Amino acid sequence: MRLTGAAAIAGAVPDIALAAAPPAVHQPRIVVLVELKGGNDGFNTLIPYDDDSYYKHRPTLGIRKNNLIPLQDGMGMNKALQPLKSIWDSGDLAWVQGVGYPGGILSHFRSMDIWDTGAVQGDSTMGWLSRVLPRFKQGLHGIAISPDQGSLGPLEGSQLNTVAMQSPRSFLANARFIEEVPLNRQTAALAHVTQTQHQLVDVGKQIVARLQNPRSRVPMRGAKGQLGHGLQSVAEMIVSGIDAPVYKVTQDGFDTHVGQQGTQENALYQVGHGLAAFAETMKRAGMWDKVLVMTYSEFGRRITENKGRGTDHGTASAQLIMGGRVNRGIHGRHPNLDRVDANGNVAHTTDFRALYATLAQRWWGQANPWHGHNALQFV
Amino acid sequence: MSRLGFTDARHLLSRTGFGAEWEEVKRLEVMPRDKAVEFLINRRDYSVPAIPRFSSWQKMVALHNNMSRRRMVMRIAKAEGAGLKNWWLQHMLDTQSPFLERMTLFWHNYFPSSIEKTKAPSLLVNQNRLLRKHALGNFSLLLHDIAKDPAMLVYLDGYENTKDAVNENFARELLELFTLGRGHYSERDIKEAARAFTGWGVHPKTGQFFFDRTAHDPGIKHFLGQRGNFTGENILNILLKHPRTAETVAEKIWAEFINSSRPHPAVVKQWANVLRASNYNIATLMNTVLKSPQFWDQRNRGNLIKSPVELAVGTLRSLPYTLPRNNLAHMLDNLGQCVFEPPTVKGWAGGQEWISTQSLMRRIGLLTNLTRGNLNTVRRKTGVELKLPNVPESDLQNWLLSVQPVKAAPASEGKQRFVRFLVLDPAYQVT
Repeated sequence: MRLTGAAAIAGAVPDIALAAAPPAVHQPRIVVLVELKGGNDGFNTLIPYDDDSYYKHRPTLGIRKNNLIPLQDGMGMNKALQPLKSIWDSGDLAWVQGVGYPGGILSHFRSMDIWDTGAVQGDSTMGWLSRVLPRFKQGLHGIAISPDQGSLGPLEGSQLNTVAMQSPRSFLANARFIEEVPLNRQTAALAHVTQTQHQLVDVGKQIVARLQNPRSRVPMRGAKGQLGHGLQSVAEMIVSGIDAPVYKVTQDGFDTHVGQQGTQENALYQVGHGLAAFAETMKRAGMWDKVLVMTYSEFGRRITENKGRGTDHGTASAQLIMGGRVNRGIHGRHPNLDRVDANGNVAHTTDFRALYATLAQRWWGQANPWHGHNALQFV
Repeated sequence: MSRLGFTDARHLLSRTGFGAEWEEVKRLEVMPRDKAVEFLINRRDYSVPAIPRFSSWQKMVALHNNMSRRRMVMRIAKAEGAGLKNWWLQHMLDTQSPFLERMTLFWHNYFPSSIEKTKAPSLLVNQNRLLRKHALGNFSLLLHDIAKDPAMLVYLDGYENTKDAVNENFARELLELFTLGRGHYSERDIKEAARAFTGWGVHPKTGQFFFDRTAHDPGIKHFLGQRGNFTGENILNILLKHPRTAETVAEKIWAEFINSSRPHPAVVKQWANVLRASNYNIATLMNTVLKSPQFWDQRNRGNLIKSPVELAVGTLRSLPYTLPRNNLAHMLDNLGQCVFEPPTVKGWAGGQEWISTQSLMRRIGLLTNLTRGNLNTVRRKTGVELKLPNVPESDLQNWLLSVQPVKAAPASEGKQRFVRFLVLDPAYQVT
């Protein structure tokens, strides 16, 4: 099939009349995953300002109490996250601290594979969402927004119907060339190509239909930068009624080996600013209760700063969760900063699979595929 | 020995170059297989087009150190970076020895450095020349030279690695990606190797490698079960004695030239042995690889996905289409393979990763745009005339596709329509 006619899609919404409005779709509860690429330093994101040990490890990088946003229990947020303060105040923001996995691996790639697959051992490439989404959702499973060839990460998997795109606009501009092809198994490579093309046509049909006949129009204001524009695209698709249960966006710039402060604060500023604008849009669209945002990063950073005023690859980190149904609070235990392993890294206190279990069980109401990792109370 | 024949000649060319030009297929089809392989390996034209003028390293360092002018660094890197990318891509379009460029690109992916981090086109162009010089030369020399390469020293923070502030970045990737691979070293080995490389830097004036003795840690290091006051060179030599180093090369060669599935361990071992026995001669390894039963196995035909560079440059080298706007670099960026800008130190993942819904859409978009053009003879900048061979449709199909097309051929006549059908078929995406 042809997704649209030859008309170029220049505006936000293509002006091609469809024979009929798309059927009403039931929109499932939505998760927006925010990948913090490079390994975000959790200790300077959610700052343990009552822990003397923190300042001992970080004589120059440690953030003082008068220079942060105090939350509760001796923990405060980096000032770059200021736009999120009002969401905390209204009770829709939570943190999980000390998140990691056993035997922390300090390679960006391997560690991100572990986070993406939810498997600490083996070399599965199946995203962790393929253990949850196919159980309750047919059709489209997720959309990853990436400016480049970013991989699907947690949305990877042969059982998942997912697409990566730069923006819905560029997707539609290109999707008009795509024709339906039969699955062809002459070689594994060709099977992959034809399977992908098939998915593309399938998803394209829905996106074209929805963006042309959006349920409502609530534009996101003040989008800036890679993450801001990614979240703007996500907001546009959610508001128009596309039924993807998961979206993924990315913020780069967290691999702060040298001169960490400015670099991390700039990246966190993008996160705070983008998420606040996104939250505001969801509220105006009446979708705030149906959306949950969660950050993740391949690892945290070493508690002891290095001599380049940066930090090297670490283990445990803090992750942020927000949404209309989120239970405010700081969940999990603060890691013991006085006990470090041979690499100088602290022990994690919450297994990352507990976060996935929480989404599966308490957000989507499914059985928990990660036995031994119980759901947390953040939602 | 019997002649290669048309189908095998196109296979050899398309796997080792950028597309398979008709004249080249005709030239190789009459050669015996071994002769054809040796012909390709020995055809090396090291000349490159005139290099654009790039700002010197000294100038970039000065701008970087001047807070009020630091923004200029970004601007220059972007503008000159575009020139750098198009310079290499133009060479890929025109070169008389495409295999040498394929190998240069292979090593760029093996030892990546990005303009995004280094912001130094003048260093990257030198690295590119280094990669070409050793592309079919000696891996041992390549490894030693790349470790001292200024662009690499900047890309992996080696130039900031001093005895008082050890930076593990280069040492980690050296062990994980360039030599042993994960599972064959410990975190301690990384730390000790990093100490051995302290003091290696880039001279702020000349932009050349220099060794700062005062920043080097001369102490005893424990590395892979050995003990000594190792220097960076010692570490590289220890790694070159380790069997895993050659195996890592062999694994990546397999993925690039044979099949994107996991290689057979026995084949990896065999190729690694060939490489080590030849004292790391890359041409010797490629001679073995390109004559191997695996390379010619029918089951491996059409089982590699074309990289964006193969797809775009290959199409433009083989068919008389013209790019509407001559910005190949920008287009490849969209397709996910921006040369001089690999996404991570792991390079491009390649294989099936080349095709996501996003990239497939753009690949088809590009080919749709190209095939709107007519197929009249075009004259390339180099003076080469490119025209569609005047042969039956079945020959065109055997030339342009490595497997049967997925879709049915168009009912209506016309060569232009038929070539368009072949290029837009999913089978054109594989090689």
